Amino acid sequence: MNASHPTAATITGVRSLSADTTLFTLTCNDRAAAGKVASFLPGQFLELSLPGIGEIPVSYCGLPSAEGMIELCIRHVGHVTSPLHRAAPGEAVGVRGPFGHGFPLDSYENQDLLLIAGGLGMAPLRSLLLALLKQRRRWGELTLLYGAREMGALLFLDELRQLALRGDITVQLAVDHRTHCLEGPPNCRVALLPALLDQLTIRAERTCAALCGPPVVYPYLVTGLKRIGLSDERIHLSLERHMKCGLGRCGHCAVGTLLCCCDGPVFSHARLRGVEGALA
Amino acid sequence: MSVHFITANRLLQLLHLLRQRGELHAPLRGADDVVRFAPLAAGILPDLDALRTLLPPKKYLLPPRETILTYRDDTNYQEPQVTTIPLILFGLHPCDLAGIGYLDRIFLGEDPDPVYASRRAALTLIGTSCSPDQFCSCHLQPSSLSASHDLFLQKTDDGFAVSSGSPGGDELLGTLAELIEERELAADDTRRYFGNQRKLPPQSELDPSLPDWQELAEHCLGCGACSICCPTCYCFDVLEFGGLDGRSAERLRHWDNCLFKSHAQVAGGASFQKDRAQRFRYRYRHKYRGFGQLKGIPSCVGCGRCREVCPAGLDLRPLAERLERGAS
Amino acid sequence: MKRLRLAIAGLTACSGCQLSLLNCEAELPQLIEVVDFHYFPMACSPALLEGEYDAALVEGCLSMPHENVLLLSLRKRSRLLIAIGTCAAWGGVAALKNGESRKELLQAIHVCDRISSSGYSPQPLHAFVKVDAVISGCPPEKEELLRLLAGLLRGALPAPIAYPVCTDCRMRENLCLLTEQSRLCLGVLTLGGCGARCPSMGVGCEGCRGPVPEANLEEALDICQQKGYDRQTVIDRLRRFCPEWKS
Repeated sequence: MNASHPTAATITGVRSLSADTTLFTLTCNDRAAAGKVASFLPGQFLELSLPGIGEIPVSYCGLPSAEGMIELCIRHVGHVTSPLHRAAPGEAVGVRGPFGHGFPLDSYENQDLLLIAGGLGMAPLRSLLLALLKQRRRWGELTLLYGAREMGALLFLDELRQLALRGDITVQLAVDHRTHCLEGPPNCRVALLPALLDQLTIRAERTCAALCGPPVVYPYLVTGLKRIGLSDERIHLSLERHMKCGLGRCGHCAVGTLLCCCDGPVFSHARLRGVEGALA
Repeated sequence: MSVHFITANRLLQLLHLLRQRGELHAPLRGADDVVRFAPLAAGILPDLDALRTLLPPKKYLLPPRETILTYRDDTNYQEPQVTTIPLILFGLHPCDLAGIGYLDRIFLGEDPDPVYASRRAALTLIGTSCSPDQFCSCHLQPSSLSASHDLFLQKTDDGFAVSSGSPGGDELLGTLAELIEERELAADDTRRYFGNQRKLPPQSELDPSLPDWQELAEHCLGCGACSICCPTCYCFDVLEFGGLDGRSAERLRHWDNCLFKSHAQVAGGASFQKDRAQRFRYRYRHKYRGFGQLKGIPSCVGCGRCREVCPAGLDLRPLAERLERGAS
Repeated sequence: MKRLRLAIAGLTACSGCQLSLLNCEAELPQLIEVVDFHYFPMACSPALLEGEYDAALVEGCLSMPHENVLLLSLRKRSRLLIAIGTCAAWGGVAALKNGESRKELLQAIHVCDRISSSGYSPQPLHAFVKVDAVISGCPPEKEELLRLLAGLLRGALPAPIAYPVCTDCRMRENLCLLTEQSRLCLGVLTLGGCGARCPSMGVGCEGCRGPVPEANLEEALDICQQKGYDRQTVIDRLRRFCPEWKS
């Protein structure tokens, strides 16, 4: 089976995460294909097909699975994702992947890691976080900074509360606006995400940052990270583009002369420096 | 030098022999004066003087709109059965041959595209030489792309010096023995513009403040002609349409253009190439600097189609000649 | 698959768009299987608005108060509301005289000035309600209508078209009527998707599908002028289908 051919999968789990975002669990129908599509590095993406509607690139959100289980966190905003809002367990979909380069886990060995997620950017970073926690001893200090518009838009709040109890990871949350009806967790501030960097103490020479968020926030985050001493090589960010084929062919996801689907979607900031349109 | 030679008065015989091997297509001038690659009927001579067809031969490899997958709920996604009969393209100019060479690198690399691969396998490429006109630029900027072909016919006053460029070409040449004579010739080979092996030095990023970008953007009509008529523009959009039975679907790809508003849009309508000036830089990078694995390989083959078909007379070439100076 | 419950209504227009759907004769038997044409006065009687609809397909523009009542009712009852055809999308031919005095128009038609009318200048749907998708065209392409219905069956809206008629036309390897034959063709300003039906037959595009996104009117007018068509001629031609074109 070639890389442009989706393999059949079934929606086996649907969990609403916020008003417009759902966590889907898919299971590959074919065991042989499962071994390929469900083996990935955090930060890589797959192409999800809805028969008769279309195909979209989606970041993996969970852990690789030998059983062919794939978690995808999807916001219902587009032509393909809107109908998914009503999808129920048992529905047939197609998947192909993984595509692109994920976060460079090997280079994170013994490093302190700073994960920074904005909004739906939590999806690929959850995948990274789960992978990091699975081999917790390989890394130094772990910190997660996560911001969303409002309390109701914070994804995986239940998991985040659990994380805070572990003691081997620091979690700081931020929301742009206070919502009266929802009580936030204690470690949540009303602030813009980049502001969380201000009160952070890090060992810059042994810290790597992994970022995923809306394009608008990247310049602020990068500036903030450099202010606290991180070099361009130590900042990795995941870019969002419309990767229509995943194979470097359709021509839709170029960033400068880099292709998001093959060269990315995770890039070191050193690689993106000076590239027009890379950061908003 | 000694060459295989076919005299001009044997051209019809040559075409006849070629037609034995498959469907023969060549440039033909229509009643509307448009030159197109089209099926060549017996007894008709192709238009070998026309410098460019309106659409390049990519239409045979990557049709404007084609089904790439079909879906049924019992069989899931399947590749369509592409029935490919042997197709012989006659009268391809070196730029078009280089264009096909470029498309091959995109679609036949790692994980070859199955639909493209089956169409390509059915194709025999027979080139002919030409002389550049005011729209051509192959002679101004040597290209690292090679004008890959099966046979190439170098025009002379009274016929063609024939050379083979592939094992298939060698074999084909064998079947044409009755038409071929040996001659001494000092042939002028236009293919010298292609296959330039020099590596491009790293280039600085494009300067968005150059007034050229804004100038291009103001005049661009967004009609898409430049990419449609470009032998190396392959950007495609992917669309999927469901059947009325609710159980079937087909997925199509069709030619896209980087200057369209929709090209860099993502779900929700946000765009990463908001203004047209920015999209021109996208186009420029793709044409003159290459994306991803083909970074450093310009894809402009200098055929001049984009200049000729742009209703606003826009042309990236003079800018490229300025910005890429010293690159070749 | 759940049957799609539809309301199909015509406002001020010629009913040609609804007819396009009825002209899909080969597909109608299949359509009946999967679509409940619950409200479709042009094709089925009795027709009463009742309950909720998966989608309302509306042809035509608004020019009479009772049409506003119907449109609002359709909007309230329908999860999706889709403008069908150029009149619904842009005003179309019915809005051709929107730039002129209504009083004088009434007088010209009814001769005497005692006749009053509760009508107003025809307006497209988006002037009154949220429109979820637009299928343009005068009339729309059958294929587009069928694809719309197939998409709606799956809860999906059509991916909008964002290229002009020229794109379709060049893909068909046509001669350019405007630049190569100096004939007035509005293809470069007009939304594509029709497969360049008219230019392919040697007839210049009339602009029936309305404006393409990011139409470069100034440049197009310059080119037309070079070909001997003054600005006003071109603008008037464009406004036959879309009064929103500004001179």
